[in-house]
Amino acid sequence: MAAFKYVGLSPPCPDAFAKASGELRYATDLRLAGMSYACLLTSPHAHARIDSIDARRALQVSGVIGVYSHEDAPATRYCRYRIVPGQAGCVDDESLFAVTARFVGDRIAAVVATSPQAAREGVRRIEVGYTPLPAVLSAETALEPDAAHIHAGGNLLHRFDHATGDAPVAPADAVRTCTRVSTQMLHHAAIEPHTCLANFDASGRLTVWSPCQSVYGARTVVADLLGLAYNKVRIVKVPMGGSFGGKQEFILEPVTAYLAMRTGRPVCLTLDREACIRSTMVRAQQRSDVRSTVGADGLILDLEVDTLLAAGAYASSSPDYSEAMAHKLTRLYRVGRYHHRGRVAYTNTPVAGGMRGWGAPDIATCAEIHLDQVASRLGLDPLEIRLRNLVHPGDIDPLTGHSVGEAWVRRCLARGAEAFGWRERVGLPAGTGRIRRAVGLACGAHKNGIFSDAFPEATTMTLKMNEDGSLDLNASIHEVGAGSAVTLQTIIAEELDVAPQMISTREADSESTPYDFGCFGSRLTYFCGAAARALAAKMRARLIEAAAELLAVASENLCAAGGRVVPLGGGDSGLSYAQIVQAARMRYARDMIVTHTHRGTSNPGSYCVQFAEVEVDVLTGLVRVNEVLTVVDIGRAINRQMVEGQCRGAIQSGIGSALCEEVTIDGAGRTGAGGFKNYHLINAADMPPVRVLLVEHDGDEGPYGAKSVGEIAVVPTAATIVNAVNRALGTRLATLPLTPDRILAALGDRAPSGSREPACG
Amino acid sequence: MRLNCIINGAAVSVDIDADARLIDVLRDALALTGTKEGCAEGECGACTVLIDGLAVNSCLVLAAQVEGRSLLTIEGLASGDGANALQRNFIERGAIQCGFCTPGMLMSATALLMRVQQPSREEIRRALAGNLCRCTGYEPIIEAVAAAADEMAGPA
Repeated sequence: MAAFKYVGLSPPCPDAFAKASGELRYATDLRLAGMSYACLLTSPHAHARIDSIDARRALQVSGVIGVYSHEDAPATRYCRYRIVPGQAGCVDDESLFAVTARFVGDRIAAVVATSPQAAREGVRRIEVGYTPLPAVLSAETALEPDAAHIHAGGNLLHRFDHATGDAPVAPADAVRTCTRVSTQMLHHAAIEPHTCLANFDASGRLTVWSPCQSVYGARTVVADLLGLAYNKVRIVKVPMGGSFGGKQEFILEPVTAYLAMRTGRPVCLTLDREACIRSTMVRAQQRSDVRSTVGADGLILDLEVDTLLAAGAYASSSPDYSEAMAHKLTRLYRVGRYHHRGRVAYTNTPVAGGMRGWGAPDIATCAEIHLDQVASRLGLDPLEIRLRNLVHPGDIDPLTGHSVGEAWVRRCLARGAEAFGWRERVGLPAGTGRIRRAVGLACGAHKNGIFSDAFPEATTMTLKMNEDGSLDLNASIHEVGAGSAVTLQTIIAEELDVAPQMISTREADSESTPYDFGCFGSRLTYFCGAAARALAAKMRARLIEAAAELLAVASENLCAAGGRVVPLGGGDSGLSYAQIVQAARMRYARDMIVTHTHRGTSNPGSYCVQFAEVEVDVLTGLVRVNEVLTVVDIGRAINRQMVEGQCRGAIQSGIGSALCEEVTIDGAGRTGAGGFKNYHLINAADMPPVRVLLVEHDGDEGPYGAKSVGEIAVVPTAATIVNAVNRALGTRLATLPLTPDRILAALGDRAPSGSREPACG
Repeated sequence: MRLNCIINGAAVSVDIDADARLIDVLRDALALTGTKEGCAEGECGACTVLIDGLAVNSCLVLAAQVEGRSLLTIEGLASGDGANALQRNFIERGAIQCGFCTPGMLMSATALLMRVQQPSREEIRRALAGNLCRCTGYEPIIEAVAAAADEMAGPA
């Protein structure tokens, strides 16, 4: 292993003090001169025809500038998820304002006013005539033959059927098991509410300020929708108070931009928490039937999954999201045959879309709960059944034909089991009293970037060195709060041997930072980090080349070290970077600026294994998580503290999804969660101690071996907790979240007929 | 109506509506946007400020209620241009990711340390239970508060 000077340390993010002092301006803190405020009127009906919109009383409110709806807005349909024009898998089914309301929370109209109060009052005074239509509130009912159609083409939005391999002939003692696992709608719960600002100036230029994850993606959607040339639309990424995928899609940008164009004023649109839960997007509700044939030796001979996913009222990313679910298990386990069928249905419920892990936690939850049931039937330790099936480094994913790369998941499991004391603890009795205690574990796989046979992986960055040796990185960074900037700083610092603080970074701005797809797909560290490393290497070569000319020596005899170019083998006759920049400019009229377009050619697996101990109170049904150990196949931690931070935050989110977080829908399609008062996040008092183990190694194309962490870290959490609860209670709970009601119901079931598992279709 | 109070050590006099929330007066009338709004129902704690040393959710307080009181907001925490011990420990210990909950966390922690010199981990957890964070998993925040308390207490 190479020795590093900066990689693996934990310098703070460059904006840390601005955050700690309240000086950092988030979107909600921006104030534009003459700024007006927008408020949305959303549908109270899950499905309804809009017969009339009467804005007269709203327009009488002092301060109201205008009221906008489908009656005057373009009817053009668009896909909020699209990144590039013509992108496959994107369905244009959403418009600025609904003509037919398709879920409780659908955009019906907007009021722009000189104050937020006036805008809200205007919204209250709009009179909308609705004719309610039959509502379809679940994927199951949506696909029934007589179900009301939500869009013209019917409710089946997408289906897939992926199969690979041949199942070996199952020996007589093989077991067939089927488990139906259901996961729920989740709210991303970034503490910063969704906000967007836009201004359309007299020269015909539109500027949008948004805490988004892809300025170039937002530009194509907004510009195409509003009929503007791309160079007349500027999207500026502003500081983001958390996303977790919730701000990946362009939810507020199109409508805010439209309102700015219509009013000719700067417009700010901020959603309250209830609207953030209801009217932005959620993690999809899905259920998967997982069927396997497993030999008595624990080898998975055959694995079949049948997934039904509720897309909500608009397609958004659900087709791609469902496909992602089908491409995780074959990079986690060696399976004789894998067959995954999926259907995605429109429903009159909040729009489902991307969320941290993007399909990986969803399918891992299903498969890992299933695998524990299989292990139990075979009398195998859950650890053993996984060790017998997990992939090895260099395995080829049979579904894609691409390598899983340096897949060190087996080492993660082995190291974690030892650190947790799994073998000693797994056999301990759960107890027979009010409190039952047990341990659980689960594994997960995710990806590194967006390279595939269907999508390219590329980014462009520019690095400029100044006369004092300081550097400016010009790249489309979309900092989500996870340390993108400090990660790229550290990589460049390592390559050039300068302090990370010498390198300035800026956030994405479609007017001035080079093209990049955006911050998603677990591509920042693995892919953009590799790009930054190659960029810095180019700069180093350029510095050495200039120094060689200045010193009249062969460049082969020089190297870069300590912020200088010096002769190989030492000596103090070199030049500082600052001297090179100054001399190159004055003698050769040459600038120390390099641009690099990096192309990805691989997408190895990222892996995480987790262990937890829980206590279940069988009187109340409450679960307490006592401890969690998470082990991540990180490859290389570029910033150790930020990597650990990602791991810890993921556990907070994953425990919530296992135990308490859920966006519920009542019989009329209304969301039960109106705010954090009834959408419960794990708080500081609930949070168990978390230990983080990182498995580091070289290999793969990430910088210094680094792989992704932010998404993979949450993939196995829910299954880990559920498996521990099932072990503690002897239940087969598989419908999330494991609320006290569900736990008590399962315990009640057990007495007469044994632990029931949900019906497997 | 006219509101007179002390904010971050300075006397403030400002015209307010009788039904104005404290958070709106701070953020809009006084441009103290370091105080964040995350939920508007007193659940997330992002808007926490100190009124006479007590941590409160400024989204649930009418501005008129702080007449004659002394307020501390996130803008009043740093000493000059530098971070105070609590802020520095937040920065150094990875207690800050997206940063949106950070001002509220720091204010709740400040209120705790004004009350208890060296709180236990459990006391810190309880004091921060009303401040939600989606990024950090809380542990680095709790460690930062504990470390700042130790630092401020000085050698035993």
